[in-house]
Amino acid sequence: MVTPAGEPLVRATDLSRVYRPGPLEIRALDGVSLEIRAGEFVALVGSSGSGKSTLLNLLAGLDTPTQGQVEFGGQPLFTGSPGTLAAHRSLRVGMVFQSFNLIRHRTALQNVELALYFDNTPKSRRRELAGATLERLGLGARLDHLPADLSGGEQQRVAIARAIVKRPQLLLADEPTGNLDETNAHEIAELLRELNRDGITVVLVTHDLELARQYAGRIVRLHYGRVIPEDAA
Amino acid sequence: MTKRDLLEIALSNLTRLRLRTFLTVSGVVIAVGAFVAMLSFGAGNQKRVQEQYEKFGLLYTMQVFPDDERPDSLPALPLDDSALALLQGIPGVRLAYPLDAVTLETNFADTVMSARAQGLPRSALETQLFSHLTHGGLFTSDSAAEVVVTDRFLRRFDSTGSADLPGSKLVVTTRLATLDSALGAVFSDPDGSLRRRVAALRLDSLRSRAFREQAVRDEAGLALERFLEGLLRHRATVVETLTIVGVLETQHMTRRGQEELIVPVGMVRRLTQGGVSDNPADLFSTLSSGRIPWAGTDGSSRDYRRVTLDLDPTMPYQPIKDSVKALGFDAFSYAEQFKEIREFFVYFDLALGSIGLVALVTAALGIANTLFMATIERRREIGILQALGARRQDIRLLFLVESAAIGTLGALCGVILGWGVSRIGSAIAQEIMERQGAAVIELFAVTWWLVLVALALGLCVSLVAGYVPASRAASVDPVEALRAD
Repeated sequence: MVTPAGEPLVRATDLSRVYRPGPLEIRALDGVSLEIRAGEFVALVGSSGSGKSTLLNLLAGLDTPTQGQVEFGGQPLFTGSPGTLAAHRSLRVGMVFQSFNLIRHRTALQNVELALYFDNTPKSRRRELAGATLERLGLGARLDHLPADLSGGEQQRVAIARAIVKRPQLLLADEPTGNLDETNAHEIAELLRELNRDGITVVLVTHDLELARQYAGRIVRLHYGRVIPEDAA
Repeated sequence: MTKRDLLEIALSNLTRLRLRTFLTVSGVVIAVGAFVAMLSFGAGNQKRVQEQYEKFGLLYTMQVFPDDERPDSLPALPLDDSALALLQGIPGVRLAYPLDAVTLETNFADTVMSARAQGLPRSALETQLFSHLTHGGLFTSDSAAEVVVTDRFLRRFDSTGSADLPGSKLVVTTRLATLDSALGAVFSDPDGSLRRRVAALRLDSLRSRAFREQAVRDEAGLALERFLEGLLRHRATVVETLTIVGVLETQHMTRRGQEELIVPVGMVRRLTQGGVSDNPADLFSTLSSGRIPWAGTDGSSRDYRRVTLDLDPTMPYQPIKDSVKALGFDAFSYAEQFKEIREFFVYFDLALGSIGLVALVTAALGIANTLFMATIERRREIGILQALGARRQDIRLLFLVESAAIGTLGALCGVILGWGVSRIGSAIAQEIMERQGAAVIELFAVTWWLVLVALALGLCVSLVAGYVPASRAASVDPVEALRAD
């Protein structure tokens, strides 16, 4: 079910995530509550260790909170069933990472196709969709290239193509410009803004406040695992 | 994720790391190959035994003997013609015929050799046990001067042209020890020594009981010596010229019940009329039976060492055996022996299979090692798949499919390797048999059940080996995996 623009798409309530790698306890997120409306372009900014990526992983359903809940389209995400989270990642969410996370022995086309293996898209349709998405992102001539044969900007475009090929409602981008030069960083940010204009809700994690101000519609600041109120920022 | 997608990704991963996959699959190939080759030896022998039993109808053949271990220490009942009639009357017995054998001196292809000949009624030759004539036919009557030779007999003469044999002649000779000559020797005194000992007797000595007993013992011993000397030295010779009418294939499983030469039953009686063969084995056997068909008898009261029963295949053997025992005889059932042989082969196959399994376990460790390495190396890939929507069971299945693909491919190639090894082994063994002049037989058999077991084992072992690495891959934390640089 698609959430209409302006309606709450994601609602995080009192989210906490505590890691216990040893005797010490690391509180990565501490009672974060956040609402993201459908069609928004939200930037999560903060210094390293502020909990941006942790929050993103929780919204993606890659990680589970120690406390709190995330509702997506009004439905709770953490119900205890791992299948629910896998379906969430497969059908509703697309993810983009700083280090691209492309599979190096698969071509650009095969990397994008991979996102459609888990939502029962027929094989013939997979190839068609993946090809069309790469074409749209200006990589029509690079379909059969391996990631190693592509530039950083191109690799990130492939990663974005992979994230949006299944037409997710929410695109979560974790420092997508972190490994790129300034020109490529702006190109990628611009691409994200275009996708947002096409109706995809975008959450961009960045430590680059300027970039966030330039492209995002709303900025959410995190500091030591807590959201800093807008009036305090 | 569909099964086809899983297989496609799994195969893509395996073909990407060709050398590692090749080495891992090679381990399985060698293990399954060894397993198949070893078990094919057991299966080949089992198959040969079974074929022999079935071909010669041994499963429907029973041998009957005098029972030397009867309860209450009763003496063994004689296995004579009246016993033969009783055995013939047992329900399920189609034919009962005795082993009436004699040792002959044969003159064939300008070579003189000793051979055992068995007298059979023509009806016995029509049973399955004697049904495999390679050339020629059966006797014309139960008293004809004819003989059926076995390929075992011909091999001793290095005779290969058995197709031309029917119609050719075989001269046989028996030398018989007779009662006439034995008794004549007891009462003869050619050198006068008996007369001298009688003359030397003194009346006063004969009054002593001890002297009398000693004298009787001495004379009885000397008389026995003269009896045996007469029996063995003064023999009657019987010569017969027999026409070879057929060549019979020998069954290899057991030589009991099949001698080298088969002659009509009347011919054996003619060859032994009035005495017993001087062959030590025949002589001992006859003397130990206590009933000797000496001169003066017509041969109607002959005792046999063994009677063969040809059974109705539709009847179970056990009630027939029980009936034979109830008559006071001992019985040997080939069907029972075959059952024991099959049990033996189960253990034999288990022993061979265990050795093969050791190799398979080693191969399984290779598979496990490969998959553990893959789990570590593809940690980020696992995280990516999870981020794209793969469930933990998808990841587990992916690794299990890779493991199964290694096992299946290895098992398939292993079966081919095992078959090849068994063919080479068979060729070498048959070459040796041929050089040794032995019957050439097939020692190996890659049966359909062996192929299925090998394939199933290859698959099962690979799945077991892959389960732990697959579970470990499924438990990879995607956040950690994607964070790793």
